[in-house]
Order: sequence, then C-alpha cells, then structure tokens
Amino acid sequence: MPKHISRLIMLLVILGVVAYAAKQYFTVNSFYEFGHYRGNSVADMASNKPKFKGSASCKDCHKDVYKQWSEGIHYNPAAGKVVKCEVCHGPGGDRGTKGMFDHVSTGPDHPQNMKMIVPTDTVKLCVVCHEQIAGRPAQQKQIVIADHAGTQQCTVCHNPHSPLTINEAKPTPPIGNVTAGKADVDAAGCAACHGPTGISDGLPGPNLAGQNQPYIMAAFRAYKSGARSNDFMKDIVANVKDSDITDISAYFATQSCKSAHNGDADAEAAGQKLALASKCATCHGTNGISRQPVWPNLAGQSKDYLVSALQAYKNGGRKNGFMTKITKDLSDADFANLGAYFSNAKCQRDGAE
Amino acid sequence: MTKKESPGTCHETHDEADRGGCEIARRGFLDQLKCAVAGLAVTAAAYVLPLEGQTALGTEAASIPAIPGYDWSKHRWAYGVDATKCIGCLRCVKACKTENNVALDAHHFRTWVERYVYLDGHEKPLIDSQADPVNIAAAGTEEDYRFANRYNNDDVYKAFFVPKLCNHCTHPACVQVCPTGATFKTMDGVVLIDHNYCIGCQYCVQACPYGARFFDHVRRVTNKCTWCYHRITKGLMPACVEVCPVEARIFGDLDDKESKISQFIKNNRVQVLKPETGNGPNVFYIGLDSEVV
Amino acid sequence: MEHLFEAASFTGYVYPNETVFPWGVLIVIYPYLTGLVAGAFTISSLYQVFGVQSLKPVAHFALLSSLCVMLFVPTPLLLHLGHPERAFNAMLTPHVTSAMAMFSYAASFYILLLMTETWFVFREHIVHQAQHLKGIPGLFYRALTLGSYDLSEKAMHYDRKWIYALSAIGIPAACGLHGYVGFLFGSLKSREWWSSDLMPPIFLLSAIVSGTALTIVLYVVACKLRRTTVVLDCLKMMTHVLWGFLIVALVLEGLEFGSLVYKAREGIDVILQFVTGPLLVPFWIMQFSIGAVLPIFILTVMFWRKTTGRNLIIGATVCGILALFEVLMMRTNVVIGGQDISKTGKGLLSFPWVFMGREGIFAAAAVLIAPFILLLGMVRVFPPWGEEPTGREELDFTDPCAPTLAQLMVDRDLSRSEE
Repeated sequence: MPKHISRLIMLLVILGVVAYAAKQYFTVNSFYEFGHYRGNSVADMASNKPKFKGSASCKDCHKDVYKQWSEGIHYNPAAGKVVKCEVCHGPGGDRGTKGMFDHVSTGPDHPQNMKMIVPTDTVKLCVVCHEQIAGRPAQQKQIVIADHAGTQQCTVCHNPHSPLTINEAKPTPPIGNVTAGKADVDAAGCAACHGPTGISDGLPGPNLAGQNQPYIMAAFRAYKSGARSNDFMKDIVANVKDSDITDISAYFATQSCKSAHNGDADAEAAGQKLALASKCATCHGTNGISRQPVWPNLAGQSKDYLVSALQAYKNGGRKNGFMTKITKDLSDADFANLGAYFSNAKCQRDGAE
Repeated sequence: MTKKESPGTCHETHDEADRGGCEIARRGFLDQLKCAVAGLAVTAAAYVLPLEGQTALGTEAASIPAIPGYDWSKHRWAYGVDATKCIGCLRCVKACKTENNVALDAHHFRTWVERYVYLDGHEKPLIDSQADPVNIAAAGTEEDYRFANRYNNDDVYKAFFVPKLCNHCTHPACVQVCPTGATFKTMDGVVLIDHNYCIGCQYCVQACPYGARFFDHVRRVTNKCTWCYHRITKGLMPACVEVCPVEARIFGDLDDKESKISQFIKNNRVQVLKPETGNGPNVFYIGLDSEVV
Repeated sequence: MEHLFEAASFTGYVYPNETVFPWGVLIVIYPYLTGLVAGAFTISSLYQVFGVQSLKPVAHFALLSSLCVMLFVPTPLLLHLGHPERAFNAMLTPHVTSAMAMFSYAASFYILLLMTETWFVFREHIVHQAQHLKGIPGLFYRALTLGSYDLSEKAMHYDRKWIYALSAIGIPAACGLHGYVGFLFGSLKSREWWSSDLMPPIFLLSAIVSGTALTIVLYVVACKLRRTTVVLDCLKMMTHVLWGFLIVALVLEGLEFGSLVYKAREGIDVILQFVTGPLLVPFWIMQFSIGAVLPIFILTVMFWRKTTGRNLIIGATVCGILALFEVLMMRTNVVIGGQDISKTGKGLLSFPWVFMGREGIFAAAAVLIAPFILLLGMVRVFPPWGEEPTGREELDFTDPCAPTLAQLMVDRDLSRSEE
C-alpha cells in the first residue's frame, strides 16, 4: 500500500479516536443516568420555588378577611367554586427564604412587594369572571355591566371577599361648619324650593333634611359638572363656591327629617312589596334608609319627587345604569306606589330618636 | 419584552452543566473542518451510546433524582379538563406566566384558553384565544388577559371555552425529534425541557401537533408547560389548577385511586385531543366538541 | 422593550404560540445548500463512477463546488440556533430517534468523504505544488501531501480506485443526505403540508436539479471569467440531466400535491385556501410556471431544434438560473409555506419577512453567497480544469458541420468504449 494511503487511514483513525475521546470527556456527568438526558436537570427543575402559596398562607395575618371569605360565596368547595386569595391578589411570592412573610407588608415575599395586583379597579377585576359573554356556562353568575352598575366600582356595594354581602356603612358625623352652612343656604336661596330646614313640604324641590352628607355633596358636584342637569339648580350652584358645598351639605344633613303621613295604606303596602322585589332595598335599605352614605335615603322623601326621579331614570333624563335597569320594567302606577311607600316610611334611623 | 433577571425554570449554574457548557462553547467556534473530521469517529461512537446509558442505569438502578421527599417512581401524573365548567376568566394563563417567568405577551403561552362560538345559522365556529388581537385590545395590555365581549349574545347559538396546555404525551413527538436529549419524559410522566442543555433548534416546536411549545426569546431555548414540576414534587397543585375558581382544571396522581384525576377519569367519558397523531396525550377532556382542534 | 422576535399576523384560528415562526429564511437556505451539494456531487460522480466522459470538464469543478457548499451547510443552522455554542450537544449526546441529530453525523461523514475525495483528485497537483512552491503556500501543500510525494503509476492506480470507491459511496451518501433532509420535514406528523412520504424523493430530485443547474451556471460563468471556451457536449449532457430530473421532480411534486388534495383530510379547506391565495404567486407562478415549466419548455425546444453553439450556452444558462430559482422557491414554499398553515387546520399565518438581523434576508443571502466566494479561492488552490480544451473551439451554430446531439452522444459512447 502506498505511503500516502496508509497515512490517510492512520489520520482518519487518529481523528476517530480523538473525537471519541472528546465525546467521552465533554459529555456531562449525569447524562444517561436515567435515560437520554441530563439526570441532574430533573432535580434542578424540581428545586424552583413555588410562587402561588395557597390561601392558607394568607390566613394567619388576614384573619378577618379570611373569615369573611371562608363564610362567603367565593368559598364554596361543595359546588367546586373556590376563588382563592391569589386569584385576585396575585401570587404570595417566591423570593422569600423563610417560606412565610417576615413582616406584614415589608417582607420580601409579600404580594405587595411583588408589585402584585392590588385590585383597585374592581370593575375590571370582577368582570373577568362575571361579565356576561359568549362561552361562559349558564351556572356562572354573570352581569351585563352597563345595566348592572355602569362604571361604579363593584366594591361600593359588594364585599369582594364575600360578594353576596352588601356593604353597609353607618353614617359618620357630618364634616364642615353647620352654622356657616346655614348662612350659605340663606344666601343661595335654597329655601325657596327645599324649605328653610330642608323640608320642602309642597315646594318643588326634594327634602334634604337628614339626607346623607356624601350624597348631597355628590349631587351638588354633579349639578356643577353638568352630569346632572336641572335649569334651576344649574344657576344656583354656579354661584356657590366649592368650599361651601361641605358646609351646606352639613347643614341639611343635620336637620331633622319628616316623613309624610298621607296614609294610603294599600299603595304603601304595594310599594313595600315592590321595593323588595325590585331590589331597591339592596342599596336603599329595606326601609328606605340607605346602606351606604353615597346613596340617598328614600324614607321621608317627598312622593312627587320620588315619582319624578324614577320616571327620569326610566326615560333617560337621569343617568345611572343601575337605576335605569331597575326602572325599565316598572309602570307609573308602580312608581306611585313606591313613592307612597318611601315617603311614608320612617325616616329617622333606629336609635336616633 | 423586557429581559428577566433570571430564567427561573433552571438554575443556571450546576457543576456538570458548567463544565460541559464552557467546553462546548469553546469548541463551538472551531472551524467546520475540524467538526467534520471529528464527526466520522463519533458516528461510530453513536451506536455504542445506548448501551452505555443502559449500563449506567443498570449499575445505579436504585438511584432517583435528588428531589427532597419525592420519589418519582411512586407517581404517575395526569391532568383533566372539564370544558363545561371553564368560565374563560384566564386566571390560569396569568398565573402560569407568573409562576414560570414566561414573557407577559401574546406569543408565549404554556397554557391558553380557546373560545368556540357558533353563531346562529353557522356550521363552523368562530374561534379565538386570549392572544387574539381583539381580546388583547379588550385587556388593554399584553400583560393581562381577558375575553372581549365581542359577540352579540342574542346571535350566539352555542359557545364554550376549552383550556389547552402541553399534553405530556406518552409517546411525545417532541422528545422523539430532539437532537440532544434536552427534552425528555420523566418516570412520573412529565415531559420536561433542560434549559441548560437545549440548543434552541426549535425542531420540537415544529413537531408538537398541539402548538404547546414555544421558543423562549429571553432564554433562547424552547419552553413549555411542565405541569409545574417544581410544585407537584412538593405536593402542590400546578399553578393553573391552584387558581382555577371553578375546578375546570383537575390534576393528580393516577396511582392514587382516590385522587381527583383518577375519579375524574373513572366517572366521566374522557377524550384526548388529536388522538390520531399517536402521541398518546395525558390531558383528558370532557365537554369537547367536534370542531375543537 | 427589547425587540426579540417578529410576530406574524394571521387569519382564522391559530394556536397562540404559532404566531412566532420557529423557522425562518435560514432554514430555507439550509436545505437549498444541501441540495446543491448533493446535485453537484451527482454530476461529478456521473463522470467518476459511470464514466460519462462528456462531463469530464466539469467533474472536478463540480466536486469542488460541492465541497465548498457543504462546508457552509452548517452555518444557517448555527445562525438559527438559540444557543449555537451548545451545537455540539447534538453530537456529544445524539438522540438516535432524532432526524436532526442523525443528520449532523450524516453531514459530518459526508464532509469527510468530500474532503477525502477532493484530496485524492488533487493529489497530483498538491505534490507538484509542494515540490515547487516555497513559503507558506508551499508549507500548506507539503502538509497536504502527508509526507508522501509518491506519484508512481502504482500509487496513481490506488488513487483512482479510491476515487472510484469514494464516489460510489458518495452517490448513496449524497442521495441519503438529501433524502434525509426531506425526511426531516416529511416525518413531522404535526404539519399536513410537510407530512408526506414523498417528501424525501421530492427533496432529493429537486436537489439534483439544483446541483446540475448550479454546475451549468457556474461552468458557463467560469469559462467566461477565464476566457476559455465552453465545451458544448459537456453542457449539452448537463442540460439532458437537468431536463430529466426537472421532469421527474415536477411529476413527483404533482403527485404529492394531488394526493394531498385528493385525500382531503381535515384541514384541506385551509390548504386549498392557502394554495389559491397567498401561494398563488410564489407557488403557481414563480415555482411552477417560471421555475419548472418554462425551463422544461425551453430545453425541449432546444433539443428538438438541435440548438447548439452560443444559443445553447445562453439557453442552458437561462434554464440553469430558472431551475436554481425554482428550487429556491420550492424550499421557501415548503419551509415557510408549511408553517404558514396553522396546526389547527383552521387558520393561516403570514410570515413576517425581515431584512436585518441574525435571521433576516441579508444574513440568509450572505450565507447563500459565501460558499461561492470560497469556491473562487478554492479553484486557485486546487485548479479543477485539467488540460484546457484546445482541440475543440466553441462551436458556431451556423456551422453546417456542427455535430448534432446524436453525434455527440455517439462521441461519448465511443470515448467510453475506448477506455
């Protein structure tokens, strides 16, 4: 065999040996240990820290909320429906070295420090599960947002940890200067329609005496911004300074209310029945005393005003998605009955007298 | 997409991987000529390898991966999806991305949810997932997911959601085509990817009939659902199962006859997706429909 | 926001992860280069193994082209990998069930085979250069001699036997190599467009088409650059090969497409929508009409009219370019087209073409051109032309004495029988 051929063969053999040796040397240690892969990678992957820790990890610190949740509709294991803490609040963490939080909200592992979703926009959050959309099974509770509450935050009415519980807030003492408010009321000429103490008593305006201060303020601002339109009110509020709104509302809120006693017992009974059926009570309370200060009390309100307000909601003169939906299917007779019921209802809070 | 601080699924520094990785890197830039020459002999070596593997397995038959308190020979994981219960809230998708450090965008999903909507008078459904541009627009960001209220409910004849994820097949096509052994099936029935060994060729992405794999552009390797292997080996549920508010997702151990998944399979007529591929999926569905792909 | 990928737009329903194409233009270039290798090697082997003497002028040149292109086959793959530095993992721990892992071995083997055969073919030249050149070039050639200047008749006899043997092994290896590329795509059951048993033979035949076309074009260009005459019967032989393989390739593609449509499995609606929509221009017009039918037509006319001389050169070159284009389009339509059709069978994606970047069109074009720059240098190191064709001047087609095709065929047969 010529020399060049034997050398070529030798060269190829050397290359082969070198390549084989290289393969043996460079193959990572645990490869082939369990199969055709790097055996150590299994334990590597298993060693990662979980981020979602389960509701139990929230329990120790957030006892109250945990209790509300575990007693509410969002915890219903029997029906297979459990909305765990981390569904809305994001994962409990993953960077912790101790497994649980070091401190309430300063620990490295706490959701707050992971820039978790602290759900501020509950309209965006809750509709993730509860908006009525194609594909969602019928057994899931669903709402058409526009009809349900518009842009109002869900948490205004619902306790998010137990959504069937409707929030109830006791009225807080009025803020602002009642005396100054009285002067402002006189100056602005409110008495012309609402009466000097906020009892309109036949005058065109609604009763304001004893009304919730936050609601009066919200209404005032709505007139100012044009969100609520009324030719009389527009001119009047234009002359009132923003700073006076608190005082004026404090004045009316502290006045004694007065229920009507025009005694149409049948209408009242029909109105009461309707009030419960139409879910007025959900927000305005079973007796017309609202469950939240931002909603108006209806008890003791003038009948005419109640009827005209309900009509306005129905025909679009006043805009509130929720009220529109509720009034949609009610007749003028219903309005009259509701007006009769609420105007005659006892307007003082229990224990106030 | 922002660069994440750590890839998360794999710890980046392990002795073996390090040594191999560095050496490989050095050699990776040798010219093609040497590569070619080396190849011939290694070709021969290739046939010896399976034997070596068996030898290693044989001598250390008792060895199991070093996972504290976990023996992979005692579990056989499986997954169930009850499509009739899914409400399309997509909390699973969000949770999965958070748990596994997956880019929060509309192109990289370890799990996703499809919506099938039959409008009145139509034979074929309209299908979308959370990654659909309309749904991304409804979410307002690619970092959160929601289904847009895009169909007039009065026109909808039939509609439902179908959650999807890696099927952790018994005969995974992705593992079959992987050139390096970077992806593999574990003894407890999970298909994993070794992010320290994957070369990023994406052949497995092509081979998966379910579209369950994706190329992770941050780590530059393939990525997919692991059934949260780091969770299930600690006795936890996968993140998607953990957050599902309606028990549409079920996970458990087939070796435990009382587990939810065993009961789910026992009590229902379950189906798998694309059985004709022969992959043998291990995600069992109820409530599917003829048009589900 | 770091720009890491291009997302594709889509119609219908596609899986969310499908909106980023796993394989881009680099993976179009990769089977294209492999095909050129296999085709050029076939031309070389037709001479070396089957003694087709008319191909002698290009035999060594085709071998060199094949080697140059083959050396660049791994580059598109390496550029495409997420972790190119880990590429050797596929060879260190090759997964025997993976077409891709086995391909790296097949390709390595083939590069080695090409280099060995090239070495044998040019050994005489290497020895001469080693004896005459000084300095670094001399050193280079002396290293290549492996320390043996043996050019005795006995040694040359050995060389010829080795060349024959290597070529003989090379033909199945080349066919296997490229058939294997077809298998790489055809074996994927996840994609209806790829999942076909005919994929390997289609890839193989189009490979031979592209390799032949490449040799034609390169040969003509080389002759022009070197201001030498084109040996017409060599060119004619290559046009015959091109013509034959073009037709068989076209028939196979037709059969594949036909059976796909006829079987009409799930998802055929989308495939038809694809073929008649986005693929109308790239597939029917560019690949099928301009790339395949037109050169077949031109070649047929040329054979029929016994065209020769300058017109033959022009015609063959044009057909060569068209065939090269056809195969490039075919690779594009398979690799990109296959991914355009969603795995859902209910949607179509649109590949986002990008120019810049690691996987852009410019990078792909650079990879495509690089082998030919290497070839430009290689023909200086290893001149493949042998003795210049002095006996036969370029034939003038107006010459009434110009040999006809039949005569050329007879010539070839005679020359073979003389051996």
